Amino acid sequence: MRTTFLAGLAALLIPALGLAGEYNLTVDRVQIDTGDFVKEGIGYNGESPGPVLRFKQGEEVTINVTNNLDEMTSIHWHGLILPYQQDGVPGISFPGIKPGETFTYRFPIQQAGTYWFHSHSGFQEPDGAYGAIVIEPEGREPFRYDREYVVQLTDKHPHSGDRIMRNLKMMPDYYNRQQQTVGEFFSDAAEHGFMNTLKDRMAWGDMRMMKADVEDLQGFTALINGKGPEQNWTGIFEPGERIRLRFINSSAMTYFDIRIPGLNMTVVQADGNNVQPVNVDEFRIGVAETYDVIVRPRDEQAYTIFAESMGRSGFARATLAPKEGMEGVVPELREPARLTMADMAGMHGMDHGSMDMSGSSDMAGMDHSGTGSMEQSDMAGMDHSNMVGMDHSGMMMSNTGASDPFYAKGSGIVPVAANGGKFLSYADLRAQDPLYEDREPTREIELKLTGNMERYTWSINGVKYEDADPIRLQYGERVRFKFVNETMMTHPMHLHGMWSILDVGADQWNPIKHTVSVQPGTTVYMETEVDEPGQWAFHCHLSYHAAAGMFRKVIVEGGPDTTQAQTDAVVDNGGDA
Amino acid sequence: MSRVQFLTLGLLGSLLVTTSATAQTMIQDTTARKQPLATWGVQFEELEYRYSDSDEELGVWKSDAFYGTDELKFRWLSKGEYAIEEQAYEGLENQLVLQTPISKFFDAKAGVRFDTPEGPDRTYAVLGVTGLAPQWFEVDANLYVSDEGDTLAEFDAEYELLLTNHWILSAALDATVAFSEDREIGQGKGLNSTETGLRLSYDLVDRAVSPYIGVVHERKYGDTADLAEAEGGSTEDWFAVVGARIAF
Amino acid sequence: MNASAFLVAATAMTISATVSAAGAHSGGHGGGSGEPGKASEVSRTINVEMHDNYYEPESIEVNPGETVRFVIENKGKLVHEFNIGTPDMHEAHQEEMMMMVEHGVIQGGTLNHDMMEMEMDMGNGHSMKHDDPNSVLLEPGKSKEIVWKFSEQGNIEFACNVPGHYQAGMYGDVNFN
Repeated sequence: MRTTFLAGLAALLIPALGLAGEYNLTVDRVQIDTGDFVKEGIGYNGESPGPVLRFKQGEEVTINVTNNLDEMTSIHWHGLILPYQQDGVPGISFPGIKPGETFTYRFPIQQAGTYWFHSHSGFQEPDGAYGAIVIEPEGREPFRYDREYVVQLTDKHPHSGDRIMRNLKMMPDYYNRQQQTVGEFFSDAAEHGFMNTLKDRMAWGDMRMMKADVEDLQGFTALINGKGPEQNWTGIFEPGERIRLRFINSSAMTYFDIRIPGLNMTVVQADGNNVQPVNVDEFRIGVAETYDVIVRPRDEQAYTIFAESMGRSGFARATLAPKEGMEGVVPELREPARLTMADMAGMHGMDHGSMDMSGSSDMAGMDHSGTGSMEQSDMAGMDHSNMVGMDHSGMMMSNTGASDPFYAKGSGIVPVAANGGKFLSYADLRAQDPLYEDREPTREIELKLTGNMERYTWSINGVKYEDADPIRLQYGERVRFKFVNETMMTHPMHLHGMWSILDVGADQWNPIKHTVSVQPGTTVYMETEVDEPGQWAFHCHLSYHAAAGMFRKVIVEGGPDTTQAQTDAVVDNGGDA
Repeated sequence: MSRVQFLTLGLLGSLLVTTSATAQTMIQDTTARKQPLATWGVQFEELEYRYSDSDEELGVWKSDAFYGTDELKFRWLSKGEYAIEEQAYEGLENQLVLQTPISKFFDAKAGVRFDTPEGPDRTYAVLGVTGLAPQWFEVDANLYVSDEGDTLAEFDAEYELLLTNHWILSAALDATVAFSEDREIGQGKGLNSTETGLRLSYDLVDRAVSPYIGVVHERKYGDTADLAEAEGGSTEDWFAVVGARIAF
Repeated sequence: MNASAFLVAATAMTISATVSAAGAHSGGHGGGSGEPGKASEVSRTINVEMHDNYYEPESIEVNPGETVRFVIENKGKLVHEFNIGTPDMHEAHQEEMMMMVEHGVIQGGTLNHDMMEMEMDMGNGHSMKHDDPNSVLLEPGKSKEIVWKFSEQGNIEFACNVPGHYQAGMYGDVNFN
């Protein structure tokens, strides 16, 4: 007892005294070989993805970043809680890093888990400027594993970010090769009847919306840890070992549905924060999100990590195997997803002018024939088979069928597990050990996610960043953000510097995240304890949506002055140890 | 010193401190992100060789180059019909317009148009509307007033049918109506002419290079047809076309 | 804190190394995990603490045929189970526990006792009572005892079958001397 106490005391003191690390990163032009094409891009320390930065909770880090490019750069530490001047957003945190200059970041590591870093300048991030961050906790983790791997996904495109943005502005469907064709009209007509199909197409045509608008940007090669499907990144294991896979989605635009056929995954972290473990067969990772899962392969065989893009236009593939060179079966891509009228629900409230009014009656009529085939068959396929012999009385909670409370009812993009099993929903996420006391929010701020696909404009409350005033928050308040997605696309909203407490209806057990996906036609709430002074970026993490204007500056007014805040943070840290 | 004065001073002092502090630490966003995004593009919707049923050969283009922001774009629209045998431009027009959004799917544009084909030239003031109509019709309607005081209207519509995601059948209709006669350039009053085209294209390189083949039907009407006949020209032509859509 | 956690982890690692060796030749003994013991036959008491989501200790040593009193205390913030059984038994039990979560009987840090008392048929003769003699289900701060006789050797684990907890690593090995 006494020794424990002493040991504890020592542990308290050590981080405050000695834990400091210095790291060096260079920002370089690099060649990126995806297996399908070789492309010049931007990387760190001569490679893309950059190195995995391994920190320890309580450590005081110093990171020297040298810009070897001929343009400005920056590094944002995605999801890290730090003084705002260290957050790495040009024009908000600091001016940026000039060519040839070395900028030194200094901040205390206050948290643990899986995070990542990336450039916040121009389109350097889609061009390859990203890397992983792994932070070892001070205490014991609420789960066990024998081995760990970072599994960092990205969507490398043969075009540069600037070119992609220009093409999207010129022709918003430039990269969409999953549009509905004449052939699909006839196959739909055979299934749902000619008139129904015609009505369906007319309803969408009237809105000038495409059911196929699930992925703006196709034609990429999806990479895992910088390796394309052919190059097959492989993680080695010994049968029976428990492996922690740290999934990070560093894509510019692509959501992935991830599964490892033959293995059950236990999700233990979301966005770096421990969650109560959830067993799943498959999960969807939004752009900029991270999920840590534990798997336990028991057999002497290769397992494929298969990550299909949400729109099914591409996939990333890697392998877990007892020996290098072994390969598992690589599944086929599933059929492309189609939006339904339910996903358009957010648009009804908007004033479309008289032209669009005629469409709404058709919409109602169409809803069923359009979605019917998909939803019902999926539901039937699911059939809660893992709950043999149960009577599904009214108490039945969500999370078993092909519905998900975080998608519009009848949405065409509700994910379904390929093996008919459990697909992770936000609704399953519960904080393992809540960081904040639950309390009433002081006020609510509504943020409508708005845009116009045909013009490729994206905005918040109809206003682009260039025309917008900052969102002003008061230090010490708890703000409830109400996201109303009035577009037909999914937006991963990322608030810098402060946690996003995602409202999954679990009160004090609501999980904390740094990136919250808002599906089309849905309203999602998150709360933020405004506990960091300064100014911060708040934006959709789809690179081309953020660049088009779905971006805000948040100013936290009041609170301890900034120098004070930094020293406070250091002291706090020692105290937490 | 009275209490009020003291308070005021204190308040002033703290104000000074806070403002200077914020000025130092909270920087203004002057990066490109905070500026309107300027972008550009060049497209040749038609760049083709035409061979008519009366053995006439034409080189034809219809191009569109733009630079600007969501709010304001500068556009250079160019159309030309070059008669290969005669080595002369049957038609050559260039429009310089400014374009700005007026509704969710439509833009207004205004500017000037210079017609410099073989024969007399004309300069027009242009006022137009362009955008995406329900059911995916791309429409473009323009009103022109010439330096001679004549007024005409042009209406363009295009529809793309996706046979597959790479094989595209596009139908285009172009109609010109004049509100007054301009004999010098062979323009009668009323419906002047129509051009209808049907092109089957294949996206070879992204959407940057899409070769196509097709047929085009040109017809003149009323007084315009009479004027053309009087000059020994044809009033109706069928063309086989081969070309490519280009975008960069 | 840090150091003690480290010690526990280190012990657990050395122990689990011996276990995997022991486990290898104990496969053929059938699925038994023992039987409820008589208080009079208890030879010793083992204290087991539940944390989020692990046990302290993470393995125990018993003599074949020994009757042990387990005093189990939940020191975590979540509901946890202590269940003695073979891996197969745990796997089967996890499905039942899943239903308890889905029916709202287990909600994070609390148990719905009213619902546990209800005579609910879950199909194959099981109810929500969770009253099997080889296990306890504890809310945070609660403590309970089990008297268990390890009448036969086998591949036995004590485990928490609250959904996800076993997979996250909340189980320990019963090693026979």
